Amino acid sequence: MSSSTLQDAPRPGHEPGRGAPRRAARPAARRVLGAWRGWSALRKAFAILLGLAFVFPFYWTFVISTSRPGGFYRFPPELIPEWDWSNWSRAWNEAPWIRFFLNTLFIASATVLLCLVTSVLAGFAFGVLRFRGKKSLMVLVLSVLMMPGTVLIIPDYVLATDIHWVDTYWIQIVPWGASVFGIFLVRQFFVTMPQEILDAASVDGAGRLRVLWHIGVPAVRPALLLIAINVFMASWNSFLWPEIMTNSTNVQPVEVGLSTFSSDVGTDIPGLAAAATFTTLPLIVFFLLLQRHFIRGALSAAGSVK
Amino acid sequence: MGWLYSAPAVLIFAGFVIVPTFYTFYVSLWHWNVLNPALSTYKGLGNYRDLFTNVDPTFAQTLFNSLYFTLGMIVLGTAISLGLALLLMRGGKAMGAARVMVYLPHATPLIATSIIWNWIFEPQFGLANYVLHLLHLPTSQWTQAQSTAMPSVILFSVWHEVGFTTLVFLGGLAVISEETGEAARVDGCGPWREFWYVTWPQLRPVTTFIVVITSITSLQAFTQFYQLTSGGGPNNATTTLSFLVYKEGIVLGDTGYGAALAVVLFLITILFTLVRRRTAVGGGGLTS
Amino acid sequence: MRIRANVPGTRSRRAAGAALIAALGLAASACAGGGTTGAASTTSSSPLPTVTGPVTITIADAYTATSSLGKTFSKEISAFEAKNPNITVKSVPEANYGTLETKLKAEVAAGRQPTVGQGYESFVDQLELSGKLVPISTLAGTKSPAELSTFYTGVQKDLYLPDGTLAMWPIGKSLQVVFYNSSMLSAGGLTAATDWNTFATDLEAASKNGVTGITIDPSAQTSGEEWLEELAASDGTAAYGSDGSPQFTSSAMVKALQYLQNLKSKGALATGTNYPGETALGGQKGLADISSSAGYYYENQAVGGKFKLTTTAVPQTDMMAGGNFFVFSSATAQQQAAAWEFLQFVASPAEQAVWSAGTGYLPVTAQALTQSAMSSYLTENPWVSQVVSGLNTAITDPPQQWVDDCGTMLATALQAGLSGTNATSALNTAQTACLQKKQADS
Repeated sequence: MSSSTLQDAPRPGHEPGRGAPRRAARPAARRVLGAWRGWSALRKAFAILLGLAFVFPFYWTFVISTSRPGGFYRFPPELIPEWDWSNWSRAWNEAPWIRFFLNTLFIASATVLLCLVTSVLAGFAFGVLRFRGKKSLMVLVLSVLMMPGTVLIIPDYVLATDIHWVDTYWIQIVPWGASVFGIFLVRQFFVTMPQEILDAASVDGAGRLRVLWHIGVPAVRPALLLIAINVFMASWNSFLWPEIMTNSTNVQPVEVGLSTFSSDVGTDIPGLAAAATFTTLPLIVFFLLLQRHFIRGALSAAGSVK
Repeated sequence: MGWLYSAPAVLIFAGFVIVPTFYTFYVSLWHWNVLNPALSTYKGLGNYRDLFTNVDPTFAQTLFNSLYFTLGMIVLGTAISLGLALLLMRGGKAMGAARVMVYLPHATPLIATSIIWNWIFEPQFGLANYVLHLLHLPTSQWTQAQSTAMPSVILFSVWHEVGFTTLVFLGGLAVISEETGEAARVDGCGPWREFWYVTWPQLRPVTTFIVVITSITSLQAFTQFYQLTSGGGPNNATTTLSFLVYKEGIVLGDTGYGAALAVVLFLITILFTLVRRRTAVGGGGLTS
Repeated sequence: MRIRANVPGTRSRRAAGAALIAALGLAASACAGGGTTGAASTTSSSPLPTVTGPVTITIADAYTATSSLGKTFSKEISAFEAKNPNITVKSVPEANYGTLETKLKAEVAAGRQPTVGQGYESFVDQLELSGKLVPISTLAGTKSPAELSTFYTGVQKDLYLPDGTLAMWPIGKSLQVVFYNSSMLSAGGLTAATDWNTFATDLEAASKNGVTGITIDPSAQTSGEEWLEELAASDGTAAYGSDGSPQFTSSAMVKALQYLQNLKSKGALATGTNYPGETALGGQKGLADISSSAGYYYENQAVGGKFKLTTTAVPQTDMMAGGNFFVFSSATAQQQAAAWEFLQFVASPAEQAVWSAGTGYLPVTAQALTQSAMSSYLTENPWVSQVVSGLNTAITDPPQQWVDDCGTMLATALQAGLSGTNATSALNTAQTACLQKKQADS
C-alpha cells in the first residue's frame, strides 16, 4: 500500500453531514409517488417500526431483569416487565459497579485525550511536513491495522511487567493512545488544506506548534469529533485486554465486571440481565444526550473519504 | 521535524504493536514454550506446514469461516445499511428518531449485547424462535446447529454494526442529493434511474470506505465469537482465523502455531486492503 | 522484546542446575523428598523450612471475588490469618478456570507468578515440565503427607503428575450429578435411574408435550463432553489410557456417542449454550439436567420454587471436577512454607466442612461430614451424603499436558455427531487431531 493510494482528497472543511437530517423533504420519492399522500406517512411508520426492532433487544433484557424467580425460563417469553427488582439488588451487590464504572469513564476519557493529541501531531506531520522516511513511516503505521490483537497479548504482558504497568490505569490507556484511523483521518484534512494558510502563518513568525493549535486544530475539528467518539467506544468495548492486564477491581473497567459475572458452575440469567441493563443504561443515556454529535461524527466520515 | 511530531504515535505503536509483531514472526518458527521460552525447540517452517496437516479444525475450514463471515458482513452489512440510508434519508422528527434507534446498538458494548443475544438465540425460550413461531415459520437452532451458527453470528453483527454504516451512507447521500439530484431531475430521470445512474456511482468512495472498514474489522472480529459461540461453534462452524489465533495461542498450549496463524491472518488482511486500492482511510483500532 | 522474553528462561535454566545439585544433596543426606521431584524443585534444599518471620503469599484462584465461592474463600483466609499471625494471604480471584489459566500463562511468561495457583492436572503438568513448580512432596518433606490418606481415593489419585510427582493439593471437588424435576418424575411414574439404559428410557418417556428429556452443552469444558466420557468409561474403556493416549475410537466411545445420537433422534436430547440444561429444567421443559454438584445453587435459582428437585449421583461411572492448588518454585522458601501451611489448613476436616457448607463443593475428606459446621447443611441437602462417596470411584482425565487440548477435540466430535456426522468418522477425526497434539507435545 503506497501512500499515493491515500491521496483521494476530502474537501477541506467540508462537512456534508451537518444539516442533512434537517433538509426539507422534497425529492424523488415524494415527487413520483406524491399523488398518494399516505406514502410518506407509511414510510415514516415503517422506519419507526424498524427502529423499534433494533432497540427491542434492550427492552427485552430489561423485562428479563425484572422477572420473578425462574422468569426467563418460559415459552412464550415474557414481554411485559414484572417489576421484581430483587434481581437488580442481587446483581448490584455482587460487584463494586460504581467503581468499575468510574474506572471505565476515566480510562476511556484519558485514552480519547491521548489519541487526539497523537493523531493531530502525527496527522500534521504526515499531511503537511516534508521529511525523510515519511513514506516508510506511514506504511509502517498502516501495517499496525493488520495485526490481530489477540496474538499481541502475551508479548505485551511481558513488556507491561517489565515497565511495572500490570494492574494499573497506564496499561489500559497508553497502548490505545494512538489510532491509525485517527492519524489518517487528520492527515486527510491537512492534505487538502490550502498550503498557503499554513505557510502564511509561518512567515508571520508564529511557531509551528502555534500554527497547528490556532489554525490546524480548528480546521480538523470534525475529524477530532469522529476520532473521539470512535476511540471512546473502542475503549468502552475492550475486555480481553483489561481482563488479562489487570487484577484488582480498583482499576478494572465495567465490561470486565460484566464478563466475569457468570461462574464455572452455573449462570444467573435474570441477575446478569440486570447487570447488563444497569451497566449499559448510562451509556445509552450518554448516547441520547449527545446523539446529535454521535450522528454528525458518523455522517462526517462520509465527507472524509470523498 | 516530522519525526518529532509523529514520535508519540509511532512510539506507542512500536512498543505495543510493531515490536511484538516481529516477535510473533519469530515465535512462529518455534515450537514455543510460553511458560519457559528456554525450552522451546526450533521448528523452521514446521508450524506453517501444520496449517495443511492439522485436522481439528483444518486451516481450510477456518479460512472458509473467516471469508464467510467477512463476505457476509460486507454484502449484507453494506446492502442493508444502504437500504436503511435510502429509507431514512429525508424527513423530520420521525426519521430522526428512527436514525437514533438504528444507531443505538452500535453505541453499546459488544460484550453486553452479545450476552443479550445469547438469550435471543436460545432455542427453547429465546426471542428469535418466538418471532418465527408467531410468523408460523419453522424454528431454528440458531447458534446450536452447524448450518445456522455462522448466519446467527452475522445477524448479530449486522444488528450491531449497521447503525454506523447507515449514517456514513446518509452522509454521502446528503452531498449528492444537494449537488446533482437537481440536475438529474431536470433531465427527467425516474427515481430508480436516478439512483442507478446518478446516486450509486457517486456513492462509490463512501462504499469503498465502508467495505474496507468492514473487511478489516470482520477479519479480526473476536468478541462476538467469544461470547456467542464460545467453543468455536458446533463442529467448528464459527471457528474463524482470528478466533483460532486466540484459541491456539492463548487457550491451548501451541503458541508457535498460533503465531503462524496470526502471520497468515496478517497477510490476508493486507491482501484484502490491497485489493481495495482506492482506500482513503483505514478502520478501527486494535481488536480488544 | 525477544531478549527480554528470554530472560526468565535463562534464569530458570540456571535454577534447574541448582535444582539438580539440590536433588543430589537430598539424595546424599537421605533426606525427605524421595527423588521423584525431577527438575522441578528449586531453592529449598535444606530440611523443611518453617515460617519464621512475617511473610505474604499470593493465591491465584478461580473463586470469583463476589460470589458465594469468593466470600467463603475470604472467610477461610481470615480464619487462617488469625491462626497464623505471621502470614498474610492475598487472593487474586478470576471468574473461571479459563481466564485463570490464561492469566497464569501470561504471568509465568513475564516471571511474575503468584505463590500459589489453581488449575487442572493437564495445565499443572505443563507448568511442571517447564520447571515452574515445587512439588508438594518437597514442601511436606514426604511422599505421603499424613493428610493424604484421609482424602477420598479418587481425590488422592488426582494429585499426581505423569512422572509420579505429588504436585497438587485439593480444596474442593464436585461430581456430576443428575437434577430431576420431581413432579415430572412422579407424573410419569418414573424413578431416578441407576444405569444409563434406564436413564435413556426415562428421558424418552418424558419427552412429549414440548418437554425434551435433557438439554446439554456439547462444547468443551461443560457437561456434554464429560457425559460422553462417562458413558464410555461406564462401558469399560475410558477416553484416555493411563499414559494419556486417546482412545476415542474404542467401541465403548463409539457406542457412547451413538447413545447420545439416538436420544437426539428420538427428541429426548437437545443442545444449547450457557447451562442450557439448567435453563430447560427451570423452565419445566426438561426432565433432568446433568451438571456439577457445585451448581446446585444455580439450579435452584432457575427452578424458583416451581417444583422440587431430586438430586442423585450420575448412573454408573462419574467424573470429578474442581481444580487443585499448586505452589510455584519462584516463591521464597518462607513463602513456600507458608503456602504449604495454608494448603494443609484449607484441606483439613474442620475447614472443609465450612468450605463445603458455604460453596456447595463436596469435601475432599469424609472426616468433614461429621463436623458441626456441616451438620445443618447436610440436613438441608440430604443428597450430598448420598453422592459424596462417589469421590472414591470417580474418574478424572489423566494429567498429560495434551489432554486438555484433546478435550476440545472430543467436544468437536460430539458436536459433529449430534449434527449428523457418523459417530465413527467424527471420533476418528478427533483421534487423529489428539494424536497430532500428543506428538507435538512429546
